[in-house]
Amino acid sequence: MSNRPNRRASASARVAAAQAQSRGRTIWIIVGVAVVVALALVIAVAVTGSDDAVEGGGPSPSGGTVVPSGDLSQGTVDVTGESLPGLTRGASTDPAVGQTIPTVAGESFDGSAISIAPGGKPKVVMLLAHWCPHCQAEVPRIQQWLDANGMPSDVDLIAISTSASASRPNYPPGDWLRGEGWSVPTMVDDGEGTAIRAFGLTSYPFFVVVDDTGAVVFRTSGELSETQWEALVDAARTGIAPAGGGSGESSPAG
Amino acid sequence: MSVDTTSLFFALLALACLLAVTAVAVGWLVWSVSGRLPALTSIREDLGRAAVPLAWLVALVATLGSLYFSEIADFVPCRLCWYQRICMYPLAVVLGIATFRRDRDVRVYVAPIAAIGAVIATYHTWIQAYPPTGGTSFCTLDAPCTERYVWEFGFVSLPLMALAGFLFIVTMMLLARTTGGARSVDVANALRAKEERELVNGRR
Repeated sequence: MSNRPNRRASASARVAAAQAQSRGRTIWIIVGVAVVVALALVIAVAVTGSDDAVEGGGPSPSGGTVVPSGDLSQGTVDVTGESLPGLTRGASTDPAVGQTIPTVAGESFDGSAISIAPGGKPKVVMLLAHWCPHCQAEVPRIQQWLDANGMPSDVDLIAISTSASASRPNYPPGDWLRGEGWSVPTMVDDGEGTAIRAFGLTSYPFFVVVDDTGAVVFRTSGELSETQWEALVDAARTGIAPAGGGSGESSPAG
Repeated sequence: MSVDTTSLFFALLALACLLAVTAVAVGWLVWSVSGRLPALTSIREDLGRAAVPLAWLVALVATLGSLYFSEIADFVPCRLCWYQRICMYPLAVVLGIATFRRDRDVRVYVAPIAAIGAVIATYHTWIQAYPPTGGTSFCTLDAPCTERYVWEFGFVSLPLMALAGFLFIVTMMLLARTTGGARSVDVANALRAKEERELVNGRR
């Protein structure tokens, strides 16, 4: 009777059959991996393809204008007047308070002229670097506030994009700010950091509050919460430095 | 393809890796609690068989991705990035050889390297997510390791991608451990050799 076939031969046959079956079962793994990779590719292309070209110069929900298109990441900067001393982090007094800011003339991302000068409305000057994580976190926070509350009519806001470098993340700065819908008029610093020295920046982001006579009210660096940002704008209006004055973490200049 | 697109692509792959690691961990938990559910045992065996090729695929994509970011996107790798690269690049070769040799014992060599990489990547992920105010001793001015070259979904950085890759490879190496049934390749080969020997010897 052959219902008990050769045991040895059938052992290898059984294993071979099991192997063939298992090869069939690994198909789900191969298909799964292929689906995941294809899906990631499709999503990545679909999501980033649509917002690649952010048009600058258009209207912003804040009532202002989105920073202009243009690939300038370093401009020419002219400083007349005395530069502010560097801000020592943690120091109890800031030697720059009361000092008149220098006149800083430069250009925006499209080469259009933009300048910061004493007098006129009180102002808040912010210095940003495209690669600084705290600046990357701060910009959308301020823009959200501006979109909700509108650009202040009694305080001038001016930003300066500094320390731009093609070998650092989030380059070019213009693309970054347009992507955030940034509606604060922005000057482009030169390659030597002339604007940085003019305002005495020591770490990013850096804020200088100036009253209507052009005198420094308050300087601070580091991320600001929404409340701290509001206090900063109020300080420009009143000419009185915010109590406490502190701010969050910052990136060292360099 | 722009750097934005590629960054998002790699970020999604990293999330898929993390998801897979989580799924395996949950599966393992259910398997041990449920008293070794046969369905899960069978999936585990399938995965064990595919573990080395899957790990190779991830090591290869991670290596190519890393080279893309430094050579094409021109991001300057920081010191911590280099240590992670040291752990990842050899795996792309070693796991490739193991895939073609069907050598699941490679797990013994690969798992420790991937685990070291995972530890460095964890630290690097941490300081990119929460940059220390005073900087770190690893940070140099030309390539500070706290710089977020990639920051997708508000948390996926380059070191998080590396971490996902290392964790996936470690997980696959754990799965590559053969279970009873999964030794079939070796068993089959040994049986066949034995049968052939016996046939030649004329013994039945």
